[in-house]
Amino acid sequence: MRYIQYDSVSKMVAIQVENLVMTYGDGTKAVKGISFGVDEGEFFGFLGPNGAGKSTTIKILTTLLRKTSGSVKVAGHDVEHDAQTIRKLIGVQMQDTVIDEDLTGRENLMLQGHLQSLHGEDLRTRVNELLKIVDLEGAANKRAAYYSGGMKKRLDLASTLVHQPRLLFLDEPTTGLDPQTRATVWSYLKQLNQEQGITIFITTQYLEEVDRLCRRLAILDHGEIVAKGSPAELKQEIGADAITLGFGNGTTGNGTAREKAKQILTGLSGVTNIVDADGGVVVYAKNGGFMVPDIVRAFDGANIRLSSIGVSTPTLDDVFLKHTGRRIRPEELDKSRGSGRMFSRRR
Amino acid sequence: MTLFSDTSHLFVRSMKKLLRNPILLFFSLFQPVIFLLFFTQLFSKFSLLPGFPAGASYQDYAVAGIVLQNGFSSSFQSGTAIVDDLRSGFLSKMLATPVSRSAILLGRILSDAFRVIVQSTIIFGLAFILGTSAATGILGYLVALSIIAFFGLAWSGISLSIGLRTKSAETVFGIAGFLTFPLLFTSTALVSSGVLPKWMQTVSSYNPISYTTDAIRALVLGMNSNTGYTVGTILTAYGVIGFIGILTMGATLYLFRKVVS
Repeated sequence: MRYIQYDSVSKMVAIQVENLVMTYGDGTKAVKGISFGVDEGEFFGFLGPNGAGKSTTIKILTTLLRKTSGSVKVAGHDVEHDAQTIRKLIGVQMQDTVIDEDLTGRENLMLQGHLQSLHGEDLRTRVNELLKIVDLEGAANKRAAYYSGGMKKRLDLASTLVHQPRLLFLDEPTTGLDPQTRATVWSYLKQLNQEQGITIFITTQYLEEVDRLCRRLAILDHGEIVAKGSPAELKQEIGADAITLGFGNGTTGNGTAREKAKQILTGLSGVTNIVDADGGVVVYAKNGGFMVPDIVRAFDGANIRLSSIGVSTPTLDDVFLKHTGRRIRPEELDKSRGSGRMFSRRR
Repeated sequence: MTLFSDTSHLFVRSMKKLLRNPILLFFSLFQPVIFLLFFTQLFSKFSLLPGFPAGASYQDYAVAGIVLQNGFSSSFQSGTAIVDDLRSGFLSKMLATPVSRSAILLGRILSDAFRVIVQSTIIFGLAFILGTSAATGILGYLVALSIIAFFGLAWSGISLSIGLRTKSAETVFGIAGFLTFPLLFTSTALVSSGVLPKWMQTVSSYNPISYTTDAIRALVLGMNSNTGYTVGTILTAYGVIGFIGILTMGATLYLFRKVVS
C-alpha cells in the first residue's frame, strides 16, 4: 500500500486557514474572512447553526469548491495548487450518506480504492479489514440497497478510510442515526483518532460527544467564527451557572410577559447574562443555586408564573446559545431530517 | 496510466449498474420493438409508393429508422444518470478523490455507447428473425453499429448538457419526449423523402436524423443504382455526426468543468 507522508515542515499543522472568504456568484457571503488552525492528530469540532457556512468551509477544505480569497492549507498543501495531493491524504464523509446502492458493500469499497489508484491484493486485504471493522463482513456481497440506514452509514464511513487518510472530514456523520448506531460511529471515530492518530475535523449537532471527544472547537455563525477554544475554556468563559426558566401557561410566546421577566431579572444582583430560549429564558449567574429563591420571589410579586426551573453548570449548549442565540437540538433534528430546515433563523 | 484505469473502473461501475437494473437496458427498446413488430406490418404497403427502392419490404426499409429511434431515446438516459450522481452526492464523493476528471465523463459516455450497441444488436437480430438481413453482410452490420454508437455519443451530449445544466432528470425526460417524434417524423427515418410534403422535405434535408438513417439504410439495403445509396452516403453521415458531436460534447465539457471546479 502506498503512503503519502506529510511535509516534514508542516508536521504539526493539519489545517491552516487564514482570512478565508467565500462569496457565491449570486452575492451571498457564506464565509466572511475566518481564520483557524487544526493540529495534526487533533479531534476538532466545527459547530454552528444551519446556514452558518460550515458546509461551504468543508467543501473548500476538501477541494470541492474554489474559495474567493484567503489562504487554506491542508496537510501542508495549498488547496488550489496542490489539490490532487490533498485528495490522496484526506477522507471525506458528506452530510448525506453517499454510497452506490446498485453495488455491494465490497464493490463500493473496492471502487473507492480504485478511485484512489489502489489495486490488487493490497486493496483486497484493506477492504476485508475495513469490512470487519465496520461489522459488514456478513453483508459484504449484498447490494447496498438492501442495507439498513445504520449499515449504509457504516459503509460510507469505511469508504472514506480505504486509502488510510491522515485527515478525516466529517459533515454531520451521526445525524439521523438511531442512538445505538450513533454510539458505534462515535466509538469508531474515537478509536481512529486515539489509536491511529488520524486528525478529525467534524461538524455535528451532538454537543455531549463534542465535549467528550473534541480537544478544541470553533463556533461559526453568519459566516464568522464567534468562538474558539477547548470545551473547558469556552464553558469557563461563561463564568456562571445557567438557570433555565420556563414560563407557565399564557405567558409563553407572549412578548410582554417575557420582556417583563427579563426586566425583573436584569434588576437582580448577580445576574451576568440573559438569553432567550424557547418557552422561557436562560439566566446566567454566579452561584446559580442561591439565586433561585430571589427569582421566584421577584416573579411572584410581578405575577409571572414559572412552569420550570433548572440550574446547571454551563454546558456546550450554553456556549452555543450565548454565541449564536440559538440552541442545538439533535432530537428535533432527527425527526425533521429531510425537510432541510433544522433551525428557525431568528434575528 | 490513470486516465485509462480510472475510466475502465468507472465503465465497469456503469456496466454493473446497467446489468442490475435491466429495465435501463430495455426501457428505450420498448417503442422500437413495437414499431418493428406492428408498425412495419401496418404500413407494409408503403414500400409500393414511389421513392421506395424496388424489391425491399417496408420492414427492410424501416429497420434503419427503428434502430435510430432507439439510439435517440437511449442517449437521453445518459443525462439522467449523471443527474443521479449529481443529486446523490456521488459525483462530489468522486471529486474528493484524485480520480481523473475526464475519466468520470468518459466512463459514463463509453458505457452509454456500449448500451446503444447492445440494444441495436437486439433490434437487428429481431429484424433478422423477421426476414431482414443487411445486404452488406457482417461488415455492414459492424459499420452500422459504429454509426449508431457515434450518433448515440453525439446525441447523449445533449442530454448530458441538459442534465448538468438543470440537475433535473424530469427535465431531461421532458425535453427528450418533446424532441423525439417531431425530429423523427420530419426525417427520412420512416418514409422516403419523395412521399413527404414539400415543407417536410425541406426540414428533412437539414435534419441530422435523415443523414444518419440514410447511412444505416444504405448498409441494410445495399449501395447500388436501385437504392441510390453510395459510399458517400455513409461518409456524409460520419461528417454530420462528427459536427453535432463536437457541438454537444463541447457544451457537455464546458458544463462539466463548471460543475467540477
